Amino acid sequence: MRGLVLLGLLALALLLQGTVLGMLRIGGVMPDLVLMLVVFVAFLSGKTEGAFWGFVAGLIKDAAAGSYFGLNALSLMTAGYLVGLAERRLYKDSIPVAMFVTWLAAVVSQLAHYLLLLYWGMDIPPGTAMRVIFGVAFYTAVLVPLFYRRFYRSQLHGWLRNRQY
Amino acid sequence: MGAVARDLTGVRAAGIYVCSMAEGVCEVANFSGKKIILAAILLVAVFMLMRATAFGRVGVTPLEGALRDALSPVQQVTTRVGQGMRNFFTAPFSLVEAARQEKRLSREIKDLQGQLRQAGEYRLESQRLQKLLDFKENTAGSAGFQTTAAAVVGRDPGNWFSTITLNKGTADGLKADMTVLAPEGLVGRIIAVSPHTAQVLLLTDPRSAVSSLLQDTRAPGLVEGTGGATGGLRMKNIPTDTPVHAGQVVVSSGTGSLFPKGVPIGQVTGSNRDPTGLFYDATVRPFVDFNRLEEVLVVTSVQQPANTGQKISGNWSQFGR
Repeated sequence: MRGLVLLGLLALALLLQGTVLGMLRIGGVMPDLVLMLVVFVAFLSGKTEGAFWGFVAGLIKDAAAGSYFGLNALSLMTAGYLVGLAERRLYKDSIPVAMFVTWLAAVVSQLAHYLLLLYWGMDIPPGTAMRVIFGVAFYTAVLVPLFYRRFYRSQLHGWLRNRQY
Repeated sequence: MGAVARDLTGVRAAGIYVCSMAEGVCEVANFSGKKIILAAILLVAVFMLMRATAFGRVGVTPLEGALRDALSPVQQVTTRVGQGMRNFFTAPFSLVEAARQEKRLSREIKDLQGQLRQAGEYRLESQRLQKLLDFKENTAGSAGFQTTAAAVVGRDPGNWFSTITLNKGTADGLKADMTVLAPEGLVGRIIAVSPHTAQVLLLTDPRSAVSSLLQDTRAPGLVEGTGGATGGLRMKNIPTDTPVHAGQVVVSSGTGSLFPKGVPIGQVTGSNRDPTGLFYDATVRPFVDFNRLEEVLVVTSVQQPANTGQKISGNWSQFGR
């Protein structure tokens, strides 16, 4: 059940990113709801789940983009794994902590994405890249308070509860 | 009880027959002549009074006036008391009615506001479509472009690439590598197509490259996207034998390219020598606002007009610049 709900949330996040959020760009940048979802899962469930759902979410995002399959899968898996490492070390009930973790994960994920694009021969000016990396990180982190509490409660008592614990 | 006489003409010298319905008998009423004359005078007087006070009379007699003036405050107070009592007793019903009306009016206001917004949206859509139609019939038509209009229904979910999805595909005659235009200029090309959708690679995508020219000096170069999210363009490999300055218009060159010749791309905003020193690099601001694209035209075929490059650019000037 949890898996299905997460897949549904991923699909919804992708749908929003491909439609509505495109109209809410600031400086050409839109928030990354898929990344936010991966960060939440990793932050609350640990590195294994974080890496797994990062990979799955990235692969779905690659499929939606239609090219370079694996690009998002690798960058989101990295972010999920790194956030998962902090699972037992940070206070989960705090929104500012969740915002900071999301911001950091977004920077790491977008940086990994940029490096992979460079590897594939795409010539993106560093200035543009920095604008995208920090723009996405800031915009995504700012939206965390809207969703984190709900996700956290659902993880503890709702549909996203992990049955094995 | 006194009843109406059956035969009022039965008048004798001394009186009148009066019949009693209840008792079923008639007897002679004892009316004197004086009384009859008095009754006749009264009747005439009443008729005169009725005539004098008939509808349409403008003035009032002094007696009437005095009476009315005297009664007026009393009437006023009585009326007020009556109104107060009516309001007191009907207040709960009025409140219920007022609440019902308020609800109905609020709903109507919301409906009307919604209709107003919808009308505004239709007006804007109509303006956009009119612009697109003008462009299709005039500029694109005179340039020999056969075009199909399509709506943008989706975008790349990430921040690095820049693609859009159109609501038309192979079923509408669209194929890969077809050029996509907007009234302002070049949008990109189709890279993938399904029966009912087409994915368009925008000029700003880092995977996009268009062979191009500086319109005034005809200096060639290559326009590349610098990252989908920021919507920037860069023109590379411009020979150093011609000056490059801000404000120059960049158009597609058509040579060795999928794109038709002479389609406006953007305007130079700055330039510098590339690291080798052999060429100029220029930053280009695109004419098309890629983040606000809603409808586009796909060039399905090109019939070469007699006077190509200059003519297309000339006609386009009314839109792009």
